Amino acid sequence: MIARYLLMPCLAAAPVAVTAQAAETIQVEDAWIREAPPGAAVLAAYLTLENRGDAERALVGADSPDFGRIEIHATRMKNGMASMEQLKHLKIAARGREALAPGGTHLMLMQPRRALRAGDRVTLTLRFAGGANLATEAVVRRDEQPDDHHHH
Amino acid sequence: MNQRRTLFIALGLGLTAGLAAALLFLTRPGPAEDPGVTIIRPAAAIDAFRLEDQRGAAFDSARLQGKWSLLFFGYTHCPDVCPTTLSTFRRIHELLGPLNRDAQYVFVSVDPERDTAEQRGKYASYFNPEFLGVSGAHAELTKLVRSLGVYYRHGEPTGGGGYLVDHSAGVFLINPEGRMQALFSAPHDARRMAAALREIMGQKKS
Repeated sequence: MIARYLLMPCLAAAPVAVTAQAAETIQVEDAWIREAPPGAAVLAAYLTLENRGDAERALVGADSPDFGRIEIHATRMKNGMASMEQLKHLKIAARGREALAPGGTHLMLMQPRRALRAGDRVTLTLRFAGGANLATEAVVRRDEQPDDHHHH
Repeated sequence: MNQRRTLFIALGLGLTAGLAAALLFLTRPGPAEDPGVTIIRPAAAIDAFRLEDQRGAAFDSARLQGKWSLLFFGYTHCPDVCPTTLSTFRRIHELLGPLNRDAQYVFVSVDPERDTAEQRGKYASYFNPEFLGVSGAHAELTKLVRSLGVYYRHGEPTGGGGYLVDHSAGVFLINPEGRMQALFSAPHDARRMAAALREIMGQKKS
């Protein structure tokens, strides 16, 4: 399922046409947010990024009208311990894919501005190095879909 | 023609053998072969500890007696691993059906400062009303986690005055004698865990 996306006009000095081309090479698939259990102040968003271009791209951040702050985090497992590490950027190789999935890399969504329930839709604006922004819509789900495991 | 027939027979035999091997592999039960499961024999003793469940009742060594307990350590401000694991618990609960009569599912918060009884109760019961949300003083939490061979650590601050907690991502199975019987390492697969649990719980009826 390819999520619809809009191209945000870029205010940076770079020529708009170049930026637009850069953003169009990125596809966002299956963006979803796990429904927060009651009282959870921090949520996670998952999605798959596909780079159809010939140049490496890097996700550097994200914004949403529904959250005060979003960071890119990776869950690291070491000796059976889980810890989270903030990533400054997430590289997507040329012609490559990066899956943000439970137990791995995710967007950590902080300071929710409204209570989100399964079925709600949230706009996420993904920011890429070089100034391109990509707005996508994530759906709130109670769980991963049962047969929705992608193994690579 | 003969050659071709031989080839067909060989292919047929090969397929049959392959199928048999595949069937044997698929039907062969045994958590021993599952790399995600570590069986502990003999089951390891757990030091006495005293925590509280979400209703304020003591959750101590005695509460581990007479039931199989699945324990997971986390905190409610954890956006990824904790809800993912508790969703796995929910799925295991669905898969185990009647075996749940002899089981309890326990979310142990290692963040008692933020996870009040009410908070961890609402959190755990969101996944299943039967799930317990347990916590207590760090000294008591430490007794339990040390017995299980793990630890936790409060660390990295996050934006907005929050902080992250490093914690064991494993799921611990405590047997009805209150001893640690198995460890399920992350990442967890509900179906495989349920199959292993069925087998382990079946071997040792109490």
